[in-house]
Amino acid sequence: MSGQSVSGGLIARIAALATAVVFFQIGVVSEVPVFGVTIDLSILLVAFTGLLCGSTVGAISGFAVGLLVDLALVQTLGLTSLVFTLIGYWSGRLRELRDPQAALTPLLVGALATAVSLVGYSVMEFMLGVDAPVSFELLRQIVLGIVVNTIIALPMWMLVRRCLIGGLPQDPRRRRRRAYTTGGLSPLSRS
Amino acid sequence: MYNKTVRRRRAVLALLVVLALILLTAYFGEARNGALHSVQRGFLTVVAPIQDGANKALKPVRDLFSSIDEVLHAKSQNAELRKQNNALRREIVAEQIDHQSYNQLLSMFHLDNQLSISNYQPVSATVVSQSPNLWYSTVLIDKGSSAGIQLEDPVINGEGLVGKVTEVVADGAQVTLITDSTMGVSARLGASATTGILKPKVGEPNDLLLEYLPATTPDNKGEYVYTSGTVAPPDDSLYPPGIPIGEVTSGAEESGYEDLNVHPFANLRNLDVVQVLTIAPGSRAARVSNIVSSLPSGAQSSGGEASTAGQLASTGAG
Repeated sequence: MSGQSVSGGLIARIAALATAVVFFQIGVVSEVPVFGVTIDLSILLVAFTGLLCGSTVGAISGFAVGLLVDLALVQTLGLTSLVFTLIGYWSGRLRELRDPQAALTPLLVGALATAVSLVGYSVMEFMLGVDAPVSFELLRQIVLGIVVNTIIALPMWMLVRRCLIGGLPQDPRRRRRRAYTTGGLSPLSRS
Repeated sequence: MYNKTVRRRRAVLALLVVLALILLTAYFGEARNGALHSVQRGFLTVVAPIQDGANKALKPVRDLFSSIDEVLHAKSQNAELRKQNNALRREIVAEQIDHQSYNQLLSMFHLDNQLSISNYQPVSATVVSQSPNLWYSTVLIDKGSSAGIQLEDPVINGEGLVGKVTEVVADGAQVTLITDSTMGVSARLGASATTGILKPKVGEPNDLLLEYLPATTPDNKGEYVYTSGTVAPPDDSLYPPGIPIGEVTSGAEESGYEDLNVHPFANLRNLDVVQVLTIAPGSRAARVSNIVSSLPSGAQSSGGEASTAGQLASTGAG
């Protein structure tokens, strides 16, 4: 989507989805620990928004979702925004550079985004002076957090895709189909 | 065209990163009543009723997930509870013996009434959200300054000490849990009555460490830990004495001091209803409680000091 204009409809869809997901996260998901850790839907939302909409939209939505999380949970303002901005941008660049179409891409992106978020958050907290050396428990929580978020990544991807795909200027499904049905683009037609 | 797109994309990223860093720096640099904290409180004021509503509406969904989780853990919990039940039975017998000497001490001081938590004007509140982040041990509750809650008020639940209030708006408040890295509680060991400082165990966010105990302190596994309520002003403890906190799981000696690992009684990952003790720290009742906690250790059975404080506070005696 980089280089293309972003429609108001898409912005409205992202805003509505982000608000709903953040409040669902805070109100329900955060109070239901799975394997002793909490699922973090907001990381997945940002990563998948970037993966669908590109780096610029991914970065902006990452910043906004992070700010919303920090405001709603009375956390250090800017910290989550910084981490989520980088995740949104990175996911968007992945789409722009590689355009991965494999079915397991959301799983991989979800796992990597969660890992970057948890490790990045830990590094930021260390830099801000929180006294917490690396321990087995901390590593266990990070690993379990990645596993749990990876499990939930595919349903979350389907939800985000379903909500945002109508607002995208070019539907990825149509784009892929067209590549094999129109002349000139199919590898078979070149031979 | 391509260069323009790349430049714009990089400019947006740089702008957002700089903005986040500015926010971070400003937030750390300003006082608690600064502009960004005020914006945060304003946001909390607006969303607290919404969160409360959403929390109530989505409770069935949460309960469904919770019940699945509970069933999975029920078997191991059952065995653990049976062990605890046996241990408690033995403790009851010991407690009954202690109770007799406790009553004698009470009559010496002409103190008959028991201090109940009601002396601290508790306000019941529902937890409406919990930070999913490993680094923030905080929860938000649905009662605020309109219910009499103030900053630094202690928070408990049926199992023991939970934390203290660190932000308040009209209809909501933020509670920082005892496992947060910023917390420290003056605590006492059940049998030996030795006092120490209870802090979160570094790197293990669900456990606590009772520090600065004399090196001779025995590490009795299963020994109870409760709030001491400090006695020397101006360092009055925020917490009334005698509130259960947790039990000793193991010991760890460190540079001449004894440290004990403590597991909190309260299930801090799954809080539902809590009570905020709205009596102000340093108030008459709090001071009286502190005086009573300085009595000889034999008089400091959890009910004993509570009773003393209750009567003195209610009669207005200093």
